[in-house]
Amino acid sequence: MRVQVEASRTGKVLVGALAAAAATLIAASNWADNILTFGLHGFQDSRTVTVLSPVVDLDKDFTDRSGLKARFGVDAVTAASDSCARCHPDGANNQRTYGDFSYRRKYGDYRLELGGEISRENFYAADTVTASLSRDLNNGNTTIAGGYSFSSNRPQLHPTQTVEQQYAQDVYVTLTQTLSKNTIVQMTYDFSRISGYQSNPFLRTSVNDILVVGNAPDLRNRQAIALRLRQALPADTYLEADYRRYWDTWSVSSNTMSVALSHYFRPSFMLGGSYRWYSQTGAFFYQPSYTGDPQYYTADYRLAPFSSGLYGVRISYAPADGLLFFPKHTALDLRYERYIASTNFEAAIFSGGLRVPF
Amino acid sequence: MKRPARIAIALLMAATGLLTGACATVQPWERGKLSNPCMVFDANGQLVAYDNHWQPSREGSAGGFGAQGGGCGCK
Repeated sequence: MRVQVEASRTGKVLVGALAAAAATLIAASNWADNILTFGLHGFQDSRTVTVLSPVVDLDKDFTDRSGLKARFGVDAVTAASDSCARCHPDGANNQRTYGDFSYRRKYGDYRLELGGEISRENFYAADTVTASLSRDLNNGNTTIAGGYSFSSNRPQLHPTQTVEQQYAQDVYVTLTQTLSKNTIVQMTYDFSRISGYQSNPFLRTSVNDILVVGNAPDLRNRQAIALRLRQALPADTYLEADYRRYWDTWSVSSNTMSVALSHYFRPSFMLGGSYRWYSQTGAFFYQPSYTGDPQYYTADYRLAPFSSGLYGVRISYAPADGLLFFPKHTALDLRYERYIASTNFEAAIFSGGLRVPF
Repeated sequence: MKRPARIAIALLMAATGLLTGACATVQPWERGKLSNPCMVFDANGQLVAYDNHWQPSREGSAGGFGAQGGGCGCK
């Protein structure tokens, strides 16, 4: 299929370009604050979806005023959800390949960052460009930042060959303030506007007892405000607390609160735990099933009212002499989380990362 | 104006007042604790990007915490 062929070709181009860029950059390294991060994420949920996501990040400083970030990753879906299993009882695999790139440069107290992302998967393609600008004030104790992104998304209405178009624009402003030697807070306002096709072509809902693909409004304005706190406590212990209020023109509104506590048992070893609570209302057109002649209808579980809890534990290990044969300041980060929703949806999420300076 | 918008604006005003009324100047040599990864917002960019991808794929909300990734991943 066209999209699959395109995904495969784009993946190869991305791999080649990133490999060439990495080789060039490492060869030209001035051994400054450059970091390679190798990550592996695993996700398994009660809908039988299993996703393995290897990813590699490169963060490279050219000078003290300029640098770049690059990321290449794959989401390998090794088991299909029940929506896929309806037509593929023996299973259907999917794969998303993506690459990010951004270039940053400082101009006095200003920092400009320009970047983009290409994402390809079976039946979905997305291209995004991003720009952000930040400025440090008050001797670096205050930072004001703003950013804009534009995405062009093209879902294919599998099993047909029809490709729809969707555009997403996002703008945000952030204020970060140091309150003391032990306290820093951040506030963000985020507005995004999504236009075009926004139904899920893989989910079918019941309208008059007939299963049909959903029909969602073609415009959605989303807003969020987030307040975040980082507090250093006595005895090498740190508190992270976040709150987000979200609302949109589909009448989905939500509250998200999270708290994490981390303690350094040794300078090289940190153990932490976290909890995130989430609660949302349903979209104005969401119903378990429909009768009559509804204008909009959906089976998208993301538009249903529900709440959830996310429990996590994490460790970070960064021995002063380096880890195994890796150089000093190499760090290993591991995290395990359990996600439990009121809809009986559950998931286990594992993340591992190895940060290697070079 | 809808209730969520009123709540958000109230929070925004309260937070702005809190921040602008408490603008301490912490000197560079006093920033030891602040440089710990636990004190840096979105210090682990890879984890932030991953969370910002899988959570909006399972929930109806997005935004507010770092940049959003592309792709659907929601089959």
